[in-house]
Amino acid sequence: MGFSFELMVFGSTIAALIAMVFLLYYFTMDYRRNLLGESASSLSKEESNLLLSKMRREISFSAFFMDDSKSIGVRYLITSIVLFFIGGLAGVGMRISLWFPNPSFLTPDQYNILLTAHGNIMLYGFAIGTILGFGYYLLPSANKIEKDTLGVVKSIMYWLFLIGAVFIIFSKSTATWYFYYPLVDQLTEAGGGTYSFATLIGVTLILLATTVSSVIFLKMVFLDRSKSIPLSKISMFSWSIVSAAVLVITSAPVSMIANGFLIYDLINPVFFQASNGAVLGYAIMFWFWGHPLVYIAILPAFGLIYEMLPKYAGVPIFSYRAGVFSLLLLMIFSAVVWGHHLFNSGLGTVWDLLFSTTSFLVVIPSAMSVFNWIATLWTAKHIRLTVPMLFVLNGIVDFIIGGIVGVYSADVGLNAFIHGTYAITSHFHWIFIGLTAGIGFGAIYILFPTLTGGRTYNVPLAKVHFYLNSVGTILMSGFWLVGGFAGMPRRVAGYFGIFQTYQDVAAIGGVILGIGFLIFLVNFAYSAYLPAKVDVTNPLEDEVQAI
Amino acid sequence: MSQLKNKLLVEIIWIVAVIAILSWAAVSNASYLETNQNAISNPANSDPVGIVINVTGYQWAWAFEYPNGTITTDKLVLEVNQTYTLVITSKDVIHDLYIPQFGVQSYAVPGHPNQVTIEPKKTGTFIFECVEYCGEYHYEMRGTVVVT
Repeated sequence: MGFSFELMVFGSTIAALIAMVFLLYYFTMDYRRNLLGESASSLSKEESNLLLSKMRREISFSAFFMDDSKSIGVRYLITSIVLFFIGGLAGVGMRISLWFPNPSFLTPDQYNILLTAHGNIMLYGFAIGTILGFGYYLLPSANKIEKDTLGVVKSIMYWLFLIGAVFIIFSKSTATWYFYYPLVDQLTEAGGGTYSFATLIGVTLILLATTVSSVIFLKMVFLDRSKSIPLSKISMFSWSIVSAAVLVITSAPVSMIANGFLIYDLINPVFFQASNGAVLGYAIMFWFWGHPLVYIAILPAFGLIYEMLPKYAGVPIFSYRAGVFSLLLLMIFSAVVWGHHLFNSGLGTVWDLLFSTTSFLVVIPSAMSVFNWIATLWTAKHIRLTVPMLFVLNGIVDFIIGGIVGVYSADVGLNAFIHGTYAITSHFHWIFIGLTAGIGFGAIYILFPTLTGGRTYNVPLAKVHFYLNSVGTILMSGFWLVGGFAGMPRRVAGYFGIFQTYQDVAAIGGVILGIGFLIFLVNFAYSAYLPAKVDVTNPLEDEVQAI
Repeated sequence: MSQLKNKLLVEIIWIVAVIAILSWAAVSNASYLETNQNAISNPANSDPVGIVINVTGYQWAWAFEYPNGTITTDKLVLEVNQTYTLVITSKDVIHDLYIPQFGVQSYAVPGHPNQVTIEPKKTGTFIFECVEYCGEYHYEMRGTVVVT
């Protein structure tokens, strides 16, 4: 430690003052702020709608200076893609280090830092950032909103999100993404790390931004929606965002409160102490948010599948009614299954019975959605296997595989076999890479002409991206699954030699995935050199033929 | 097109089928819990079955204390076809004792002892691991179960 404590306090105070001056400047000089919000009051409804329909946001620096929903959406999308690559780098680093049974490329401490960073960046930065991005970007056009207000609030929430993400990236916490109490309080390299404060503050800022944004999403769908769209006709994507937003509003505040207790505990141990028998208290409060989070991360992907699938299958979705029903049921059931993360922790048989039964219940709406997609494909006349459609099909298959592993772990007896093993890691990587990331990439390929101002992507490159993504997931998550059933523990810097085959194949899969995602970036760079030659319309927002 | 004419019927069929399969899973899970309460982790307050072994997890090793007072570290010695109750607790942070081949695991929570019952059916050497992340050398919190 080269710094003295006083110097750090002084430096951070000066830095905070400078940041405040910059923010003040940013919000006063932002001459185009609240563009649509202000025009909404002065323009007639027709003029306002015309303006909204003309709002075409492409990926550009100016999005950071404008406060309309589309610009905010572009900001979140750019940020979440950047965070995806930072988190992905951490993931590839861990995979390479696990090539040998003993820590090789990374020391255990470095491995644990990457482990924590990967989890936090991917969940809070990438998954939530993508949802907020697509929500802000697609909801205004999906609901033909009549006014686009609260621009400053949206903008401030974006900057809080970004500050939170920066805190998470630069903290060297080793407490993993769920900060179980006695460990996080060990402020040494050997325990949770001295920088857990930074991660906790960052996570709480992101939770705040997400909660406020969710309220804005609900406002957009229910209050600002065009009167020409009755409630019974709003898009599936809007329904999925509504479900996710309600989940955020009901569960994220609990996590913020728990983080507040925890930060206080780091200074003055009071709440989650062994002496008062409340060690598991933080875990319980955390999972009340932690499980809804994974549904928050996949529900918008469900909505995007419902939107994208009919475009390439040539028929409307098989049953709109069953789709909405399944999304709303998912919203309700997924809020009451969180206790299944704490089987085996000694909370008793009744606890296990309650949460395993609700975990079986939550499969019903998930299966309803999957059958709905299958029925849509079944009735299709001509399915066109374009790049976004390939991502959709891959996402459905990955969700089925990952979901079935999830049903296994809902069973208390089986849970004792696979809890804490790579089978669980495999379960959520099938779903996150297949749905959250895969459908996100598919949607970006659909929006490509709009996002890049009239350019097209290189189809062969995009297909290479898709196949590497698909094969990489099968190798990585597939071998994790087999290894997990054999008892391979997760989040370890080293392992018994008997598991080396699974780890090595998974490492190859991880590197393949990484190369695939780089090709996605190459595709963007490649198209930037080509002249703009197509319309800036896209099939998700306009009545145009999907390509 | 013609295969799926009756939409409502198709929807009802898939919902009923899914509910039937999951009800079977839920009922079998509940009956497993009813008959095998000892095989899953429970708070250590009920009467232990068989020989009691006190297990203590600490950063970063497992200590097993047998009824005769001997203590082994990172090695658990059991006899075949004998029922044991492991009373598991922790000195510092939350750990999780997991014996893959026996299909048992239990958290080691400081100030909250848990118990789980095992009965080895085969002789041999097996592995156990800590599967709850517990700090820098979490991966070294592992060892062998020797059944004689």
